[in-house]
Amino acid sequence: MKKPNIKKNMQGMLFIFVAMFCVLGGYLLFINVTYGEEWFSTPYNPRISTANNIANAGDIYDRNGVLLAHSEGSTRHYAQDADLRRAVSHTVGDVYGKSLGAETYFAKYLYGHDRGLLNTIATAASGTSGGDVYLTIDARLCEYIYDNMDYNGAVVLMDYTTGEVLASVSVPTFDPENIENDDDETGSKFLNRVVQGRYAPGSTMKIVTTAAALEQGVTDMEINCTGSAVVGGETVTCPTSSGHGHVDFTSAFVRSCNIYYAELSVRLGGTAMMRNADKFAFNYEFNFQDFNMLKSNFELSGRDYDLAWAGVGQYKDLVTPMHNMMITAGIANGGTVMEPKTLLEVKYGDRTAYSFSPSRFRDETSPAIADTISELMRATVDHGTATSADIGGVTINGKTGTAEYVDGGAVKNHSWFVGFSDDPQHPYAIAVILEGAGFGSAHATPLAGQIFSKALDLGY
Amino acid sequence: MTIKRYGTGIIMTFMILFLTSAMTLLAFREGGFDEMLFLKGVIIAAVFLLQYNILGIVFKHIDRLSLLIADFLCIIGIVMLYRMNPDAGDRQFIWILVGNALMIVALNIIRKANNFGKANFVFMVLAVAMLAIPLILPSRLGTSNWLRIGPFSFQPSEFVKILFLIVTAFFLSTKNRKRDMWPYFLFTIACVGLLVFSKDLGTALLFAGTFLIVFYVATGSLGITLLSLGAFAGGALVSYQLFDHVKVRVEVWKDPWATYDGQGYQIVQGLLAIASGGLLGTGLGNGMPTSIPVHETDYIFAAIAEEFGNIVAIAIIGLYIVFIVRGILIAMGARTKFSKLLVFGATCMLSLQSFIIIGGVIKLIPLTGITMPFVSLGGSSMMSSMILLGIIEGVAVNNGELDEAEISEMGGGIE
Repeated sequence: MKKPNIKKNMQGMLFIFVAMFCVLGGYLLFINVTYGEEWFSTPYNPRISTANNIANAGDIYDRNGVLLAHSEGSTRHYAQDADLRRAVSHTVGDVYGKSLGAETYFAKYLYGHDRGLLNTIATAASGTSGGDVYLTIDARLCEYIYDNMDYNGAVVLMDYTTGEVLASVSVPTFDPENIENDDDETGSKFLNRVVQGRYAPGSTMKIVTTAAALEQGVTDMEINCTGSAVVGGETVTCPTSSGHGHVDFTSAFVRSCNIYYAELSVRLGGTAMMRNADKFAFNYEFNFQDFNMLKSNFELSGRDYDLAWAGVGQYKDLVTPMHNMMITAGIANGGTVMEPKTLLEVKYGDRTAYSFSPSRFRDETSPAIADTISELMRATVDHGTATSADIGGVTINGKTGTAEYVDGGAVKNHSWFVGFSDDPQHPYAIAVILEGAGFGSAHATPLAGQIFSKALDLGY
Repeated sequence: MTIKRYGTGIIMTFMILFLTSAMTLLAFREGGFDEMLFLKGVIIAAVFLLQYNILGIVFKHIDRLSLLIADFLCIIGIVMLYRMNPDAGDRQFIWILVGNALMIVALNIIRKANNFGKANFVFMVLAVAMLAIPLILPSRLGTSNWLRIGPFSFQPSEFVKILFLIVTAFFLSTKNRKRDMWPYFLFTIACVGLLVFSKDLGTALLFAGTFLIVFYVATGSLGITLLSLGAFAGGALVSYQLFDHVKVRVEVWKDPWATYDGQGYQIVQGLLAIASGGLLGTGLGNGMPTSIPVHETDYIFAAIAEEFGNIVAIAIIGLYIVFIVRGILIAMGARTKFSKLLVFGATCMLSLQSFIIIGGVIKLIPLTGITMPFVSLGGSSMMSSMILLGIIEGVAVNNGELDEAEISEMGGGIE
């Protein structure tokens, strides 16, 4: 056996050991830089709700400086007005992680986590260690929406040119003042339906299907709607039993004819429909900076009948109100969807540590197709199913939806409206869903009109 | 020719400053001033100051950097323990005293011992028995990897580590032919196997890793080393298939967040603590390290990262690098093959153990429960780590004396 050179072998092992510990230190640094803030802000972190941290936490304000959350000693208090407090309850959240909102997502700012030397100095004067968080929402507008929602559901309003979320309301609400001992989860009240509620889109899905048809250049189809038709071996129906009569590409959208869209979907085919849904961010893991959002669902079985209903926003289609609003926001913004954001500004003392800047989420369709769909949506408000959204002062484009669901054996309808104010001075997109309210045109649509009016009154 | 030693006393001064200011801070923590706690801080500081200076005077050639690093790890550990649970701090203080005594005993034994000759076969039987008894008689003598004798309970695997290193150094330094080494191979397999069965996966990994590294260094035989590596990898794969507790560890490592309130709880809480500390830490007393499971033993690294900051956590990793460099330099300077391999093995074991637990806590590798040497609370762990340090220092002292003799023959000296 050859005499081994122990010294040389030891030197070799020394290098390996040093390399191993360098990897160890490097990895520790890496996880801190990459995941540090994200992990700190998870609702599983018990540190957030400790008395010491709450006492030092910063305040939360809306975009106009209305106080939404602040600490007094080691207790967290929320807006004084009970209605306002409830209206923004999901957006603001709570310190116990029951409902995920600003208190959780922006915990790193509120508790001054890893804020750096300059911010530490800036906060030293104010006596707390946390930063003050300003949200993009207008609390007055949220309160107005909350006061006017007669059903459970969600409303979200966003500036489609920048992505600032102006209002976000989920009903039922909860009272954050007493949340620590509130274990009553009736109606999933802690769930923020805007981003965590998934609903069948119903006829609002026709926007997406229309984009697929325009992409393929299939706009010449004309049918005679009699209220029901056999597609893929089974019967597809329109809600109006008498039928829409003669419909073409434009009137099918404006009058929301299910049979037309069912046949159109089958003609476009599953592959094209799926590719189109992908472009509109269905089945996509949203990884937004400011909040967690569930992914929307679009899937096909291979059967024409299922494809037909998928194109009409039923079958297994699911969408969050925020995503449905984003789809419309993209149409309003020439095909480009901006990333929705709720954080406007963070201040440590007088020092601004973060301020909002818009970022592009994706191009869901071409400007030309967006313009065409925008015109169809205008016609829908002008003389179609969404006339009750028509208000003075600003042009509204929109689409209604009535999504069927089964609740305890009975078939009920969610009432949807998606739309936007088509005006560079007032660039807002909206999604309204009222659970089990009935036809979209009868409930969600007039509420959307009222909300746009209120927004105009408030100067938006 | 005169070789001048560098001064390291200033490092001890800073360590004492750190210890006393931290203990003073803790004394003020509950509002008012806890004189007892402050006094304990002063006593601990005095103990370390005396230990360092006396050892330096008695053993002129003791390796000061290794000693300082071990002392610093003890100090930051005991400060953290006093912050989380003063009772644990008191207990750890006793273990540090006992550990120091054992370190001096080990140092002296190693200075005089040759290679323990035939006694190694007794060590082998003793080691296997210590690992097997808790498995065979679990109901009478304790749980899987603890042994209880009267009022005392201890972890046999901690002491088997020392026996294992001596046996390893003995066989690899005296047997040149591979066929003479089979008792050693069987011994290694028996130790690792028993540890896997007693669910002490971290220690099993530690033994297997130490064997591989020391074997390769001693023989330079890449073939057998790779074969053993393959055997251990195969064994790991089989135990993954066979034992649910191994499978769970790997699943949890892949995605602890999926079971954050179940099996992943411990890892998630550790990561949350590390993330909450940030770079500079929350400051001593301002974090919530007690919310981490086993924060006094296996997870004390996460507690340190939270309150002292990741900058200190990374510095500790840096200290290990210095410790390894010193250990390997001492091993290279040793005059006999046995002491070379013994010191190298001891360095290897302490470093590998630290790597396994830190890597597990920060989720670089799957978590296996094992203590952090010198830092974690625990008598067995502190004693065995101190004995390993004593082994390293004993050889360092011998090296220094032989160096001095050689230099004075040439007419020089060491200051």
